[in-house]
Amino acid sequence: MKAKLGTMSSTSPAGRKPDQGQAGRAAGIERRASGPGRLIIAVYGIFAVSATARAVYQIATKFSEAPVAYLLSAFAAAVYILAAVALAKKGLRWYWISVAAISVELLGVLVVGLLSVFDAALLPDDTVWSGFGKGYGYVPLLLPLLGLWWLWRHRPGRTEMR
Amino acid sequence: MVVDGFFITGVVICLVSALICIVAAVIRQPPNDITILAVAAVELFLLVYGVAAIFRQLGGEPVAGEAWEFWGYWITAILVPVAAFWWSMLERSRWSNLVLGAVGLTIAVMLVRMEQIWDMAGTAL
Repeated sequence: MKAKLGTMSSTSPAGRKPDQGQAGRAAGIERRASGPGRLIIAVYGIFAVSATARAVYQIATKFSEAPVAYLLSAFAAAVYILAAVALAKKGLRWYWISVAAISVELLGVLVVGLLSVFDAALLPDDTVWSGFGKGYGYVPLLLPLLGLWWLWRHRPGRTEMR
Repeated sequence: MVVDGFFITGVVICLVSALICIVAAVIRQPPNDITILAVAAVELFLLVYGVAAIFRQLGGEPVAGEAWEFWGYWITAILVPVAAFWWSMLERSRWSNLVLGAVGLTIAVMLVRMEQIWDMAGTAL
């Protein structure tokens, strides 16, 4: 609208605005699987596969040694799978599922991290989240923070939230 | 023998591949022939490594850890470059090169574990 008063120089920035404005906001949550989002989803995919493989191995070979820790491994694996899928899927419902999955992941890594420091007897063997994910280069701690920040940047517009 | 030639070769290929892909992303290139070939090199190494491992085992070289665990890693590993290639081709942006770069880093870590299973070099850790 403002472009009509303008000279050439003012039309070009004004011309770009509609993309990032209303139309862009509507598509904002869909863009979470685009650009850097693709890398985030890829990392979630890697963790989904490795956590699943680890949980299957632990439960299949030595479940009785540390049942709580190994069930937790399986739970963590399920959370990573859900987060990876939900991030990649379109639609508002999947957006909120991804928020929920990543929030649970953050809660999990914090609680398990604290437990492994203060009550090591409860979790005698390592899980992905033990020691705040130190066995995986602390990626399990950083990933949910990155994920939630990314989802916040691609949050639905206020009108859609209702 | 604690560290074998296959392991060193594999890790070098993985790290060079990851470096090429990361540099390509930094200079804002979408996935191109160079980065795709870098990932293909990782896949090719894994195939050679797997075939060689079959012959090494048939030739009587013992696997210190569980053989099925080694092969579990190997089967997962050969799927990683394929999956990353597919994922990066769906949207050919510079970020997809970082997805391709993640292949080299992931496979390098997996090779460390496979080496530990094969030689039990990591049991001291």
